[in-house]
Amino acid sequence: MAEEPVDVETAGQNVAGEVPATEPDAVTDDTTVHDDDVELERTIGLVGGLAIGIGTMIGAGIFVFPGLAATNAGLAATISFAIGGLIALLVALPTSELATAMPRSGGGYYFISRGMGTAYGAIVGLGLWLGLMFASAFYLVGLGHYASAVFGALGVGLPFSPVVGIGLLFGAALTALSIGGTENTAKLQNAVVGILLVVLTAFLSYGVLDAVGAFGGRSVPEQFFSRGYFPVLTTAALVFTSYLGFAQVATVAGEIKQPSRNLPLAMVGSVLVVTVFYVVTIFVATSAFGADRLGQFGETAMVEVAREFLGVPGAVAILVGGLLATFSSANASILSASRAVYALSRDALLPRKASEVNLRYGTPHVALLAAGGPILALVATGQVELLAEVASFLHLVMYGLLCIALLVLRRRNPEWYEPSYRVPGYPVLPASGALTSFGLIVFMQPASIAIGIVVMLLSYLWYRYYAGDVTLKGDI
Amino acid sequence: MADRQPILVPLRVLEGESVPEGVPGLLANAHVVLLGYHVIPEQTAPGQARLQFEERARARLDEHEAIFETAGATVERRLVFTHDGQKTIDRTIHEHDCMAVLVPNAIGAVDDVLVAVRGTVGVDRLTRVVASVFAALDTSITLYHVAEASETDEDIETLLGGMRDRLERLGVDGSRIETRTERQRAPLDAIVDAAKTFDAVVMGETDPSLATFVFGLPADQVADRFLGPVLVVQREREADE
Repeated sequence: MAEEPVDVETAGQNVAGEVPATEPDAVTDDTTVHDDDVELERTIGLVGGLAIGIGTMIGAGIFVFPGLAATNAGLAATISFAIGGLIALLVALPTSELATAMPRSGGGYYFISRGMGTAYGAIVGLGLWLGLMFASAFYLVGLGHYASAVFGALGVGLPFSPVVGIGLLFGAALTALSIGGTENTAKLQNAVVGILLVVLTAFLSYGVLDAVGAFGGRSVPEQFFSRGYFPVLTTAALVFTSYLGFAQVATVAGEIKQPSRNLPLAMVGSVLVVTVFYVVTIFVATSAFGADRLGQFGETAMVEVAREFLGVPGAVAILVGGLLATFSSANASILSASRAVYALSRDALLPRKASEVNLRYGTPHVALLAAGGPILALVATGQVELLAEVASFLHLVMYGLLCIALLVLRRRNPEWYEPSYRVPGYPVLPASGALTSFGLIVFMQPASIAIGIVVMLLSYLWYRYYAGDVTLKGDI
Repeated sequence: MADRQPILVPLRVLEGESVPEGVPGLLANAHVVLLGYHVIPEQTAPGQARLQFEERARARLDEHEAIFETAGATVERRLVFTHDGQKTIDRTIHEHDCMAVLVPNAIGAVDDVLVAVRGTVGVDRLTRVVASVFAALDTSITLYHVAEASETDEDIETLLGGMRDRLERLGVDGSRIETRTERQRAPLDAIVDAAKTFDAVVMGETDPSLATFVFGLPADQVADRFLGPVLVVQREREADE
């Protein structure tokens, strides 16, 4: 990819008189260029991108949901996860095209604001920021369950449930670490994801062999659709939180090397990898115990599955894995949320102050606090399913709009829109992506839908009040 | 007169790193690629740092650019916000075809310079850099070679004598060139010891190997132990690298 000109003009100002920061002059494989001689280096490679995607996703689908999903849908929960994976893929492909055309920080928010205008952009951008908070809170509550299970395994009886307390503790610690820590957390994240994949592969291979009767053990015969067909869809809506991570790759699109190659590979690749892992995990877990008993174990059901197969060492491995996975998911989401705040503040949809960088640590302390603070309040509710669904709702709205943005851009075909990756099966594939994304929302609990709609409404009102004059839409 | 050769001067521009005294004089006859860079933690988007720091960094770079231009150099400049300083330096070397990188340590006047000649590989670029930087300066130039056991005196004469001839052809006054050879020593320690009595060092970059992976590039080690400026001549890059 040679230098690619970027030709989107922004205009207007917000209530505080701030204008959107100027768009870059050009995008290359290694940099984003402003004013000819100022460059923003791209430093995340394909492995880093995959680690962000997989690391964000794998915590939820494998370590938190199996028990809950099995209760709701029985063995057919396998299909729920497959449906989620399919929708994620239908969205990841169009997102890849948009990302190669506009490899800028802010991801989905950026693509929609440039393709469909400021109002949609504001709803999605603020929704993404809040959605990531709900997701982080969900991961932290999951982490709390795993940490409590450690106490349980050690035989420490506590007079109260430590789940929420531990979640709060880790949430506060993560926020503080992100503000004050300058260690190389990306390398750590890559290593954690690598270890998780190895442990899970070993564990699941054993589980699959066992499930198909290779070890001559008992298998729990069970009817596939033991709860009927409808719960398969509601469960798909619930567990969709396990597929939010690929969009987080797009939030750091401005930092990915060779974006035209690495962005599509990282997004689509991470969706495919986690889908396979999820489906196999649910299959193994439900085969081991049957859906009913699995459901009784709740959020940490996988620990019991591992104990069943491999005894105490297996349980310990999965316990540690669950802690690492939920921790890395929460961490990645907080960082993405802070990137979303930056993108909004760059475009004058939030005060410029919000993306201020701390002079001592060089970190965006305001944005990180703006993510970390509300997360604690959400963790305090302790509502795993509600948090997960609201996070999914807000992401699904963005996903649907992403697909529509692609349809709009392809149709108008403005001069500046030159993606180096083009989605196959246009217009059917992006249209199905939009329909399935919006369609899945219908199957959520009424409470989740209500909260999601309120968040969107507030986002829109904020835009009208604060930045009604700001134009971000590209010339189409 | 030798052509001006592009030489990279990387500065962590917002962390108070500035052009040390004596360096502009040293590079008066070079084409300086002035790279101001700012390394930020992963939590921060590079664009975010730009919003806040660009103005300050620009002002600093303006000052440095003026200092080099006053001394006589031609200057090209870049300001980069990055998570990975080394990647930025490597990329800039490549994109601007820099012949050498300056590790900027302070010096007074440059009266003498030690040129470490490793072997025939890379001697061409080494010669061009030395000629370009030092031809018009009044510096005495010592070509220094640490010989291996298998090398005969004749081999060494061919190497250093050949380089001396080429330098003279490129406009360096022959009376300012000396040669010195040492045997049976570890090259790195020998260079550091020899450098003690000189004002500046010019040496080649070595190919990355396991040893350099563990101990760091020899040029970096010399720069750490030698307190004056070190010009590290870059090996020729493959076109597609």
